[in-house]
Amino acid sequence: MRPCCGRPNCRGPAGRPDVTDTNRRDILKGAAALGAVLTLPVRLEAAARGPAGDQPALNAFIRLPATGGAVFQCPYAEMGQGIYTGVAQILADELDIPFEHIRVEHAPTAEAYRLLEFAPGVPKIRVTGGSFSTRSCYAALRAAAASARRMLVQAAAAQWGVPEADCVAELGVVRHPATARHTAYAALTARAAALPVAEPILKPANQLRYIGKPMKRLDTGAKINGSAQFGIDTRVPGMVYAAVKHCPVFGGEALSFDDSILSSSRHILAVEKIPGGIAVVADSFHRAKKALADVKVAWSDSPLAGFSSTEFAERLRARLDEAGETAESIGDAPAALAGAARSLSADYQLPFLAHATMEPPNCTADVSADRAEIWIGNQMVDLVVALVQGATGLPAERIIVHTPFLGGGFGRRVAFTDQVIPAVLLSKKLAKPVKLIFTREEDIQHDFYRPMTAVKLRAGFDAQRAPVAWHFTIAGDGPGRNGNPGFVGKLDESVFGGLNKQPYALAHKRVDYVYEPIPIPVGYWRSVENSGNAFCKECFIDEMAAAAGLDEVQFRRNLLADAPRFLAVLERVAGLSNWRSARYSAPDGSIRALGVALHEAFGSIVGEVAEVSIKEGAAVVHRVWAVVDCGSVVNPAQIEVQLQSAIVFGLSAALRGEIVIEKGAVRQGNFTDYPIVGMSDMPVVEVAIIESGAPLGGIGEAGTPPIAPAVVNALAKLTGSRIRSLPLSTHHLVTI
Amino acid sequence: MPAYEISINGRSRRVDVEADTPLLWVIRDTLGLCGTKFGCGVGACGACTVLLDGQAQRTCILPIAALGATSRITTIEGLAGDGHSHAVQRAWSELDVPQCGYCQSGQIMAAVALLRELPKPTPQDVRRRMTNLCRCGTYQRIHAAVLRAAELSRPGGPA
Ligand code: FES
Ligand code: FES
Repeated sequence: MRPCCGRPNCRGPAGRPDVTDTNRRDILKGAAALGAVLTLPVRLEAAARGPAGDQPALNAFIRLPATGGAVFQCPYAEMGQGIYTGVAQILADELDIPFEHIRVEHAPTAEAYRLLEFAPGVPKIRVTGGSFSTRSCYAALRAAAASARRMLVQAAAAQWGVPEADCVAELGVVRHPATARHTAYAALTARAAALPVAEPILKPANQLRYIGKPMKRLDTGAKINGSAQFGIDTRVPGMVYAAVKHCPVFGGEALSFDDSILSSSRHILAVEKIPGGIAVVADSFHRAKKALADVKVAWSDSPLAGFSSTEFAERLRARLDEAGETAESIGDAPAALAGAARSLSADYQLPFLAHATMEPPNCTADVSADRAEIWIGNQMVDLVVALVQGATGLPAERIIVHTPFLGGGFGRRVAFTDQVIPAVLLSKKLAKPVKLIFTREEDIQHDFYRPMTAVKLRAGFDAQRAPVAWHFTIAGDGPGRNGNPGFVGKLDESVFGGLNKQPYALAHKRVDYVYEPIPIPVGYWRSVENSGNAFCKECFIDEMAAAAGLDEVQFRRNLLADAPRFLAVLERVAGLSNWRSARYSAPDGSIRALGVALHEAFGSIVGEVAEVSIKEGAAVVHRVWAVVDCGSVVNPAQIEVQLQSAIVFGLSAALRGEIVIEKGAVRQGNFTDYPIVGMSDMPVVEVAIIESGAPLGGIGEAGTPPIAPAVVNALAKLTGSRIRSLPLSTHHLVTI
Repeated sequence: MPAYEISINGRSRRVDVEADTPLLWVIRDTLGLCGTKFGCGVGACGACTVLLDGQAQRTCILPIAALGATSRITTIEGLAGDGHSHAVQRAWSELDVPQCGYCQSGQIMAAVALLRELPKPTPQDVRRRMTNLCRCGTYQRIHAAVLRAAELSRPGGPA
C-alpha cells in the first residue's frame, strides 16, 4: 500500500491520484490548528469584491437584488450551530436592513472567504470548525456591511446632490431628512456598486438592533417542512447510486471480487474497487446496497490485522513514566514533587470515539472531461476542490462544489476524502452523476476517530496540605500530526491542549507528551483534545481537593484568585446549582450528589455542575447547570442551545461512547451498539451567560469538555471510589 | 418486478420496485420526497419516521410488500393541510427547535403520532415516548415543543 497523504496509516491505495500539492498542504496546516489556536488576528477586508453574479455585488458578502431584500454570502457551512443566523444578524445590523428580508447562502470558493489566519505568512484558510465561525468573521462582516451601507448612502447623496453626511441609512432605505427624500437600497445598488469601496464606519453599540439579541433561526422554516436540502438529498438528472464497503480491517484493500451480479441484473451498473474497499453502483441505493452485500471480496492482508484497542490502551499506559517532550514547564515540578510532604498520582484513560453525525457521510459527483460538480456537506470547501483537482486534473475554476446544510458536523465533515474520491472516480468512469452514501455501519467502522489517550497526573502538597505542584504526562497521538503533512515539530497541541495553560495557581506545573503513533485514522471530534483532557484534569482536581480535605468548589476558588474570569464562572455556577459538596436525598428517594468542572476551550470558559444519582448500576444525570463566559454575545438563544447540544454530545460519550477495535476491525456498527443519549436520559440543562467583554469566544464546542468530569466527580461521592476511565457503562456503579 | 399502488400524502402513486425495498427508499428515491431521512437503517434512530394510518412508522425497516393495500402514508411534506402548518410544526417554529435539522422531520412525525394517541401528554409521557435520536441534542426544546403543540391543538386552546 502506497501512502497518499503522508500519514503512516494512510488508507489511500496505489493508483489513487496523489494530492500533495502545496494548496492542500497549506489547507491542512491551517486545519492542524483547529483544536488549539485561540488568538485570531482578522484583518478588516471589506474591500474584497465578490465573484460577479447576476446582481451587483457591493462586496464579497452582500448582494442586493433589484427585487428587494439582501442575499448574504456566508463563509461557513450551516451544520446546526446557527451560523447562517449569526451572520445575518451581523450583516443586517451594519447594513441596516430588516432581518426578515435576508437570505443566506453558502459562499462559493474564493479568496475573499478565507478568513482564518493562523500565523503571519501562512496562507489564510476557510474551515467551519474550531468554534471559529462567528469569531473569525465578526469583524470582517461588520466592516463589509458598514462599507456597503456607506456606499449606498454615497450613491443616494450623489443622486440628490447633497452631502453624504446629511443622509442616513435605516432599515433598507436611505433618507435625506432635510428634504424628506428617500430611496430603497434596491434602487441604489447599481450606482453604489460602481463606487470605490468605502471605508467602513461601524455603528456605535447602542445603535445595534440584532447583534446580541435572541433572533430566531433563519433556517427553521425549511427544517420543519422537509424542504431543507442536505447533501444526501441531492438529486441530479440521470443520477445513479453507489454503496460502499471498506475492508473491515483498517489498512486492507480489495484484492479481487466476484462481479457476477453485473450480468445478473440490469439494475446493477458497476462493481468497482475504491480506495480501501469496493463500491456497487446501481439505479437505486437499495439495489446497490443489497447487491454489495452479496459480492464476495478477497481482502488483502493488512499490517493492522492484529491491532487491538485494549492492547493499545495498555501500550499507552506503559509509556506514562517516560520523560517525553515537555509541553509546559513552570517552576520545577519534578523537584517540588520529590520534596512534597504528601503526593498523589493517578492514571486516566479515554477510548476511541466515532462522530456518528445524524446524516451519514455522502457525496454526489457529476464529472465529465471538462468539468466537475460536487455536492457534499463539508466543513472545508477549498479542500474538496483540491481533492477533486487531484483526482481529475481539472483546473480549480472548472470545479463547482455545493455545500448544502450539514446533518451534523462535529469534525467528521472535515474528513471527506473517503467520500469525495470514490464518488469522483465512479462518476468519471461511468460518465454519470453518482450519489455515494455510507450506511451507518460504514460510518461507524470507517470514521476518523477521537484518539485514545492515557494520562498520568501527579500532584504534591506542602505540610499544610496546600497544593504546590503538578506534573501531567499524556501518551498518544492526535489529528494535528496524524495524517497531516503540514505538521511541523514534535509538540502536537491536539493531544495535550487543555492540560497546559491552566489557570490554577500552583508554583510548579509541568506537562509532558509521549508520542505514541496511532495506526488507525484519527480526526477532530467536537472539542478535540479538550474532551478527554478536561475529564482527566478536572477529575484529578477533585482528587486533589479530597487530599487537601476541602470542598471541591472552595479548593478551586483558592487556586483561582488571579484568574477573575474563571472565578466568576465558578461562583456563578456554584450559585445557580445551590452548590453543596455533600450528597443528599432527593424527594423521589434517590441519593444524589453534585459534581463540578471548569474548563476553557476555544476562547470560552465554561463551568458545569451535574446532579447525578445511580440507578440499576448506571449513572442518571438529572440536571446540569452551565455557565459560559464567551466574552460577548451575538445571539444568546443560540448560545443556550449550543451549550445544551455540547453537553448532550459529551454526555453520550461519558455514559456509553466507546469504539472497540479487535483484530484491526471496529466492533460497533450502529446506534444499537454505539448508543447516544436520547430524550429519556437527557438532563434538564440550565444555561447562564457572562459577558465579560473579553474577545469573542467560540460556542459550538466549549460546553462539551466539562460534562464528563462533572458527572464523574458527582459519582465519586456516591460510590466512594474514583472512576478514571470512560465510558461509565464499562463500570458497575453502586451507591454505598 | 412487482408494482405497488400506494397512497401517500393524499395521492395515489404506482411504484415498480422489489418486494423487499424498504418504504424509506421508495419515498426518497422513487418518489423524490427527501424530507424523510436515512439515519441508521435498522429502526434505531427514527429519522425515517412517517405516519402510516396515523401511527408513527420507521420506514427503513418496513418492506414495501408489507404495506396494507389501503394504508395511507403521510410524510413531512404532506403534514400541513391547505398551506396551513400543523400545530406541531407551529410549536416547533415557535420554540425554534432544529439545529442541524436532519432528525427533525422524524421527530415531528413522531410527535404528531404521539399527540393523536395522547392529546394531553404529561411531561413524563413525552420523555418516555419520544424515542427518536437527535445527535445535536435538541431534546429539551423538542420536549417543550411537544407540550406546546398539545396546547395549540386543543379545541379552544391558544390559537
Ligand atoms: S433510519 Fe430508520 S430508524 Fe434510523
Ligand atoms: S437537529 Fe441535528 S440531529 Fe437533531
